This record gives sequence, structure tokens and C-alpha cells, in this order.
Amino acid sequence: MRRLALTLWILAAAPLTGQQVTYERLLNADREPANWMTYSGTYRGWRYSPLDQIKRENVQKLKLKWVYQMSAQDVGTTHQVNATHTVETTPLVVDGIMYFSEPPSNAVAVDVKTGRPFWRYRRSLPRKINVCCGQVNRGVAVSGDRVYIGTVDAHLVALDAKTGAVLWDVEVADYRTGHSITVAPLAVKDMIITGISGGEYGIRGFLDAYDAATGKRKWRFWTIPGPGEPGNETWEGDSWKPGGGPTWVTGSFDPEQNLIIWGTGNPSPDWNGDVRKGDNLYSDCAIALDADTGKLKWHFQFVPHDVHDWDATQVPVLVDEEWEGQPRKLVYWAHRNAFFYVLDRKTGKFLLGKPFAKQTWAERLDENGRPVRLPNTEPSAEGTLVWPGVQGGTNWYSPSYNPLTRLFYLSAWENVGLYRKGEAVYSPGNRYIGSVPEIDLPEDPGWGAVRALNPKTGEKVWDYKLHTKPWAGVLSTAGKLVFGGSDEGYFFALDAESGKELWRVNLGGRIRSSAITFLQEGRQVVAIASGSAIFTFELPD
Amino acid sequence: MAARESPLLLAGRIAAAGGFQLIFTLRCRILRRTIPGIETDVKKLVFLLCCATGVMAQTGEIRNPRTSPEDVAAGAMIFRSHCAQCHGIHGEGGRGANLAVGIFYHGSSDADLLRNISEGIPGTEMPGTFFSDNQVWQVISFVRSLSERAVETRVAGKPAAGEPLFRGKGGCAQCHKVNGEGGRLGPDLSNIGSSRSVKHLREALEKPDSEVLPAFWRVSVTDRNGKSYSGFRLNEDTYSIQILDMEERLHSFSKKDLQSLKIEKTSVMPSYATVFSDRQLGDLLAYLSSLRRKARTQ
Repeated sequence: MRRLALTLWILAAAPLTGQQVTYERLLNADREPANWMTYSGTYRGWRYSPLDQIKRENVQKLKLKWVYQMSAQDVGTTHQVNATHTVETTPLVVDGIMYFSEPPSNAVAVDVKTGRPFWRYRRSLPRKINVCCGQVNRGVAVSGDRVYIGTVDAHLVALDAKTGAVLWDVEVADYRTGHSITVAPLAVKDMIITGISGGEYGIRGFLDAYDAATGKRKWRFWTIPGPGEPGNETWEGDSWKPGGGPTWVTGSFDPEQNLIIWGTGNPSPDWNGDVRKGDNLYSDCAIALDADTGKLKWHFQFVPHDVHDWDATQVPVLVDEEWEGQPRKLVYWAHRNAFFYVLDRKTGKFLLGKPFAKQTWAERLDENGRPVRLPNTEPSAEGTLVWPGVQGGTNWYSPSYNPLTRLFYLSAWENVGLYRKGEAVYSPGNRYIGSVPEIDLPEDPGWGAVRALNPKTGEKVWDYKLHTKPWAGVLSTAGKLVFGGSDEGYFFALDAESGKELWRVNLGGRIRSSAITFLQEGRQVVAIASGSAIFTFELPD
Repeated sequence: MAARESPLLLAGRIAAAGGFQLIFTLRCRILRRTIPGIETDVKKLVFLLCCATGVMAQTGEIRNPRTSPEDVAAGAMIFRSHCAQCHGIHGEGGRGANLAVGIFYHGSSDADLLRNISEGIPGTEMPGTFFSDNQVWQVISFVRSLSERAVETRVAGKPAAGEPLFRGKGGCAQCHKVNGEGGRLGPDLSNIGSSRSVKHLREALEKPDSEVLPAFWRVSVTDRNGKSYSGFRLNEDTYSIQILDMEERLHSFSKKDLQSLKIEKTSVMPSYATVFSDRQLGDLLAYLSSLRRKARTQ
């Protein structure tokens, strides 16, 4: 009995003794549902958990566990978290410790039992930082005994997971030319993969891999090819130089094929395509890179010559599933342009494309997935009304795939935008958008939903309608639940099969992040950021 | 960049302790770009100490050197692509402040505007920019041209003649407060001249339905007992709606408990296009436009 107790104590204590987050662990993250070790939970990008303690029958009993208030951490100092910075972080949980970012570029480690902080890395930033849409951060990566964070001044920083001490700090790009990092890095093998932001500042986009130990860059893939490289011919003249193609949402990894699959953003300038005639590769693409070399294996461009700012910055969802009678490696992708796509993961071949939200810009997709555009949908000086609006039918917030229901879940928008064309003059570090955009039409604000799709057909299975357009991602679980949130501040749980609301709580702050779930001392916990706080929920004793 | 500028700042502190440091630094930025041959930091320091004295000997004011019509046009182009997203195409405001009324809460002088556009405003969403000083001056010329147009309209009437119309014939004070006096059903107008252009105010008086803020949309509901309420839509979400009824009572309803819910995006305010003569309308506009809080200085 005593030996058993000792064994149990060792087993229980083992996670707290500081195991390293090895590549093996990340590779098999689905076997460790107690933890949430990468942005999307696993390399497949499902944002799905096999945990089922919280389920349809008991989710109504969820109660608050603890709250971590970011703005409260600096009360009485001059460094208070600025309330104008939206919280978009996805927390990670490893062996009893939660790691997350605070905007603009801070990182924190807290005890998952109490919510009390172990350490906090507070980054000093230059005064002039230009990020198109707020100084945000979507989360950290963990590898070995280190925590990695990208910063809005475009550095990548390695921190000691025990203390928050800086181990290395490398400049990824010059922030004074409109580069910034808002993406959560992805740890793959002995590398840290990071993207870049700056599609509204005429950067030349890239995806980078850094040696996790030293911070030395191992490879860089330019998302805008230079002269002599394939794809450069899709840019007129020198327009490729400030061509955009940022990489600001964490991609996925297919270990069997050794492929990093990542989305690229809009070409620059966003809404005036006259100065960059051509297809503008590899903007608005799914790109598949060899993880060891960063060499391009395949690409699929969702929107050739985009003039609506419809980034392909969504999480690629990698699923092995039967397709037309044959087992096949697939990518599911709900794109900002309001189409849901299925691609072949070995080749990038287009298999299916179907609108999941109202769209008025494409007559159809051809057999290669290339859109056949409708006339008069280009931005114009007086403004052109097009569905979806500039923020798309969906955006960066995470979708989810649930292997039990075999449904694809996402936050969807039904909205129209007035697209205006404007001058496009590039100057380093300043906005380069080619427009005077009208983001929201006050008289026609549109609405939103958490939506379930059948990924085999792209057909809608159910809708959970929201009065406002949600910027929160979705999490699905083996408890047959889908967790989502709204800009109204509600966090809710839906029946994954029917979409029926089963539980809801008003957290009082906008939810612009995606939920996670994990175990704390064997009990399932759900966590979400709302306002400038992290909230955790669990079942009562 | 920061290291190169530090001697300048130091010189500024020595030479211009007091309120002149900022002006001095800005002036030096301009001079440094226009006077060639000043290569070393030492030479710069000596020269700039002299120039600081010069600035102090004058009135201490920096003037926008780029105010020609061509500059305004160039500034408009930068404004449209860089600033309009938050401040509106015509500077009418939105996520950012209304810039078309000539009052800037973080300082109205040329130096204030140069600093705020170049460096951003701490504690707000206003970011800095990487434009040259000349480009920023052009933007300032354009922004000032917006309010210059508004000024022309403003002088059309007499504020002192407009106030009695506001309180008397117009009946405006029944619903609108000015400096603590008046009703509560309409928006408080104590500072309306700061946040709305004359053009906008005229349109609101003549065509009140042309733009109605969501908090003033008209809501009619019937609850599960068949009782009806109507009022203003203070707030609405997926599950509930909050209203102020016409008897100035607050209500919050769960949508699932309602038999009916109707929202009209029209105003309860009547049009004043035919109520007043043109002259009276001008006086009322002049009064409304005169309702401003004092600009904050830095």
C-alpha cells in the first residue's frame, strides 16, 4: 500500500519535476490530453481535445476556477497593460504550468491550480511601432525547457521556462520598415518556426526557422519570390519588392511528409492591384515547405491577384480521410474569401471548394480551384459593395475538426464591405494599402455564427447564430462539445452534433481568442481569454 | 537612431530647460535636414545650441512651412491612405477623433500636430508614422483645411440668437442636455460643436433620419404578458436588449421572453427644415457649434 502510494506520488509529481518538452512529446501531443503544448493543440491544427469529463450532460455545471487579470499586474507602475491592445492569446499548458502572452509582447507563466504567476517577461518596446490592427500577440511556443515569443518590434525571444530570463533575442526583421510579429511560433524538431506581419506596410513576407538552442536562422522562405525565382513573373516590374504576403497565423505540420503547411496573407498594397499586375504569388496561398530546408514543395493560391485583403491566414486542418473511395491525406481550409476548400496534402491539388458564407465576387471555382470572378467586384474610387466584407467570411481565429462527429467547425461572418480604391505610394514603414477602406458599414453591420460544415461536401450542418460578428475561435472535444465566444463577451458551449446551446456565461470582455482544454490534477479545465483576462472553468467537486 | 539623437536632446535640456525643449528638438530636426555640411555631433551641438537660443528669442512658435495648395493636395493623398481608416475620409472621425472642427485635444499648435502625427500619442491608439517632416507638414495643412471650411459655415449665424430658439421654439431642451440642463432622451449636446461639423449639424436638424446612432434607434417590444414598451436601444446582444423608454425608465429584456421585437433605425426627433426660417436655422447652428469644451494643452 505504501509502495503504491509512493508510486502514485512519483507518477503524479513527475510532470512537476520539469520534464522537457521534447519533439517526441509534441509529435504525440494527442496522447497527452492533460497538456496543450502547441497553438492548435497538436500539429494537425484540429483544436480538438480527446478529454470528455466535461460533456453534454454536465457542462451546465461548469464553474469559475480562477481569473488572471493582465492589467492588474502592473497597477501602480507606469507599465500597465494598455487596454487598447486586444488579447488574442492561446495559452499553452505543460505539466501544471500555463504559458501565455499578454499584448503587446509580454509572456507569463502561471500555476494552473491557482492562477498565480511564477514569472513574467515584460518586453520594453520602442515608442513607434506600426502594426496594422493593434499591438497583439497570439501566443507562445514551448520546446525543451524554453518558452518562445515573437514581438511587435519583430524579434524572436527565447525565455527560460523556469524563470522567464532571456536566453537569446534575435532580430527577425526591422520594425521600422513595418515588420512586426503577432503570430504564435511553432516548435518543430529543433527549430522554432515564426511568421511575420506587415501586409499593410509593404513588407516582403517570409517564413523563418530558427535553431531553438542558439537563435541562429536555419532557413527563410520568401513568400514573394525574387528575380529569377519561379513565381516572380507573376509580379509586374519591381512590384514584388513591397509585395506583402505576410504569415501571421500559426500553421500546421505533417510529420509523415515532413511538410510545414502555412497560410500567407494579402499582396501589398491591399486594395489597389493596378500597381502589381499578375497573380502575385505566393500571396493568399497555402504553402507546403520541407521542414528541414524551407524549400517549397507545393502551393495553392486561393485568390490570385487579390484586391480585397482576403488573407489565407487561417489554421490549416490536416485530416487523413477517405476521398472518393480512397484513403487520402487532406487539408481542410475555410478561407477568408468565404469558400471552404479541400486540398490534397501531398500535391496541393484542389479537390473541393464551396461557399460557406454569402459571397458575391466569384461565379464559381474552376476545376483547378481558380475563382471565375464576377464583373464589377473590384474596389473603385466611389466604393464597390462586395460580400464578404473586408474581414471576410472568417478570419484568423481558429477552426476545429472533431474526429467523432467528423464535422468542421468555425466562426463565420455574414457581412458586406464597401471596397474603395485609393492611391498606392510606398514609403518605408508607412501604410501601403491603396485604399480608403470602410471596414464596417454602420447601417449594415452583418451578423455572425458558429457554424458546422460537413467537410466532405462543404454543406452547412448547423448554425448557432450571433447578433454580432465573432472574433473568437472554436474548440471541440470528445465530450461532443464546441466552445466558442463572442465580441459581446459571452463564452458558450454547444452540442457538437446539433449546435444547441448548452451553457453560457457573460465574461464581460470581448473574446478575441480561441479556447483550450487540459487537466489539472486529473480534472478537466477549459480556458479562454476575455477582455484582458484569462478565465478558467471546471466542474464542481 | 536613438543614439544619434541623444546629444540633441541633451543640448535641449541644457539650453532650453523649461517649456522649450520640445520646440527646440523639433526645430532642430527641421534645420538638420535643411542645412548641409553639419557633419559631426560636436559641430551639431554647437550649432544647435545657437539655434535654440534663436528659437527662444523668438516667440517660441514653430510654423508649418508647407501650406501651399499643392501641399494640401499632397497631404490629402497621404491622409486618405494612411489616416482615413480611423479618422474618416473627410476627417469626420470614427475609431479616431474628428479632425474637421479645428480643435485637437492633444494640442492644436503646429508643433503639437507635428509631434503627434510623427511620434503618436501615448495611451491612445494613435500610432507614430515614419513620414518625413515635410510629408507630415503637408498632412497638417490638409487637416487644417478641413476645419477652415467648417469655420466659414459657422459664422453664418449668431449663437446668442440661437440659444433662445434652442430652449424656446425648437423645444430642443426637452430632450437634450447642455451643461447639465435639459432632458435626457436625446444626446447631451454640451460639447457637440467640438465633435460635429456645422455641415453634419445642419443635416441632423434638417434630415434627422439620415444618421441615427444605434443607441437612439427606436425599439418596440411586447413581453410574454402582452405588455408593450417602446424606447431607445441602449444596447443589444444575441440574447438580450436594454432600452430607455419614453418615460425615462430603463428596461432589460431577454429576447426569448418577448412576443415581438421591432427595431427602427429612425430618429424620434422631428425635422426642423420647415420649423425655422433659414436665418433662425443659421442662428441655431451657430449656437450648437459654439458648444465646445476647452482644448487641452500639453
